[in-house]
Amino acid sequence: MSHAGVILRGRGCAAGACEGEAIVSRQPFGFWQGMDPRTGIVIDRRHELCGASVKGKVFVFPYGRGSTGTPGIFLEAVRNGCAPAAIVNVTSEPMIVMCAILAEAFFQVRIPIVDGLDANPLEALRTGDRVRVNGTAGVVEVLSRP
Amino acid sequence: MRLTDEERRILDGAGGEPQRIALGVLVKLGEVYGADRLVEIASAHLVASSYQIAGEAGIEIYTRLAEQGARVKVRTTSDPGSIDFARWRDFKTPAEYAERQIRIAELLDRMGVIPTWTCTPYTTFNVPRFGEDLGWSESSAVIFANSVIGARTNRLAAYVDLCAALTGRVPRFGLHLPERRRGEVLFELDPDLSAGFADHYFPALGYLVGQRVGDRIPVIAGLPRATFDQLKAFGAAAAASGSVALYHMVGITPEARTMEEAFGGRPPVERLRVGRQEIARILDQMSTGEGGPVDVVGVGCPHASIDQMRRYAALLDGKRVHPGVQLWVCTNSVVEEMARRMGYVQVIERAGGRLMVGTCHNDCPLGAWGFRRLATDSGKFAYYTPTTVGSECVFTSTEACIQAALTGRVERP
Repeated sequence: MSHAGVILRGRGCAAGACEGEAIVSRQPFGFWQGMDPRTGIVIDRRHELCGASVKGKVFVFPYGRGSTGTPGIFLEAVRNGCAPAAIVNVTSEPMIVMCAILAEAFFQVRIPIVDGLDANPLEALRTGDRVRVNGTAGVVEVLSRP
Repeated sequence: MRLTDEERRILDGAGGEPQRIALGVLVKLGEVYGADRLVEIASAHLVASSYQIAGEAGIEIYTRLAEQGARVKVRTTSDPGSIDFARWRDFKTPAEYAERQIRIAELLDRMGVIPTWTCTPYTTFNVPRFGEDLGWSESSAVIFANSVIGARTNRLAAYVDLCAALTGRVPRFGLHLPERRRGEVLFELDPDLSAGFADHYFPALGYLVGQRVGDRIPVIAGLPRATFDQLKAFGAAAAASGSVALYHMVGITPEARTMEEAFGGRPPVERLRVGRQEIARILDQMSTGEGGPVDVVGVGCPHASIDQMRRYAALLDGKRVHPGVQLWVCTNSVVEEMARRMGYVQVIERAGGRLMVGTCHNDCPLGAWGFRRLATDSGKFAYYTPTTVGSECVFTSTEACIQAALTGRVERP
């Protein structure tokens, strides 16, 4: 539990707050052709997380590979309850941010997004960490590490 | 963000629920990206017109908006759908899938969208002018409108494009600002490459440029000329392999009459040389499979123009597509009609080729075909095929693609 209490501060890109289990990848990620919206499982065979689920998790990756169709898949996952609970990026590209704005506008679901943190989230956070994300204040906090 | 009195009233609900929601999305987006205000747009183009992108979530959103009386406020066109509305049975599209796409078409009709079903809306019905602000999404159309025409649009996401259409506005940031349209990365072509620059090098160069720049603005120097369709193919590839939304070609595109204009008087942040070796290397990467028997040949990505239809017809005239091969020519209904009047459709169909209208290989469910190897002349198809069609892909020239359809075999270029 030595890492509990680690706090990263950055920019809040999409409002909301939640707690969840982190899933961390060092590879960029595209939801379009990358995730099955019926399950939240990564289906991109070129991606290291292929086969893993991001449903209900705090999904940490460097940046999005954004097809303009991204919100199609993302909102389908939101509608099915299979979207990530929060997203933490090194840099959030507009497609991801637009997904969160649309999820709130059309489905009243908040998915906080934080980027531009004062430490590299790909190193400071580990898969399995229990994490709190505040997308309004732009804060990511490690609550516990298994 | 500074909002006008009218915009504030819309946010308070005076324009109805669809406009309130739509403007709220645009204002939030503008706040994240530091926009000072909203800007009025001349037109919108919607990417989530396809069921493959919109899915059930899209149908739910469109149904709610249509029931609340949503109407587009500016000229708005639709991207390809997930079916050929006239021939979906011939493409083995499941009936229940087609029914969902037809539902989307009905909902977009109710909102006043022009049913173009094409990724090249800039050729008819939605032709932007130099300097105009737009709210477009489809990546190959965005890059064309910005680069070849000099109109101004960011790469909007699915549904954000609809928010722009419903309000006639977008947040003013990114490519709407002249100072954000300056070139950043210079690609200099070796003289011996540009001297013998083949037609299929355009999508190959686009693919290479997209890979190298990500979302920065590339400037290409050293090309003596480029046709409308070559610029279309270059941009579509760059927008697929990278997130390029604007490129400049010195002496060819309108914001790059000179090198100095392309970079806005500043030096490039990075310079890259492109020679025969770099083109050979990217051609090698664009094909995922080895050469060999081919079962599907896909041309017309982005949608074929009348010039391209003439070219396919000339290559197919009096010939016969190999019995084991599907040759699919993707285009829109306007080009289809004109190509029929000119006899090109008859020549293509007589040879055993098929037109795929208002959709394409990337948008349709093709699982029932079990394709193993696709040959294409499109850098965008080459990028997406391994995931959308699930087959191996060989990228080569248009001539070699048609030849592959005739012989049933394709070789790497």
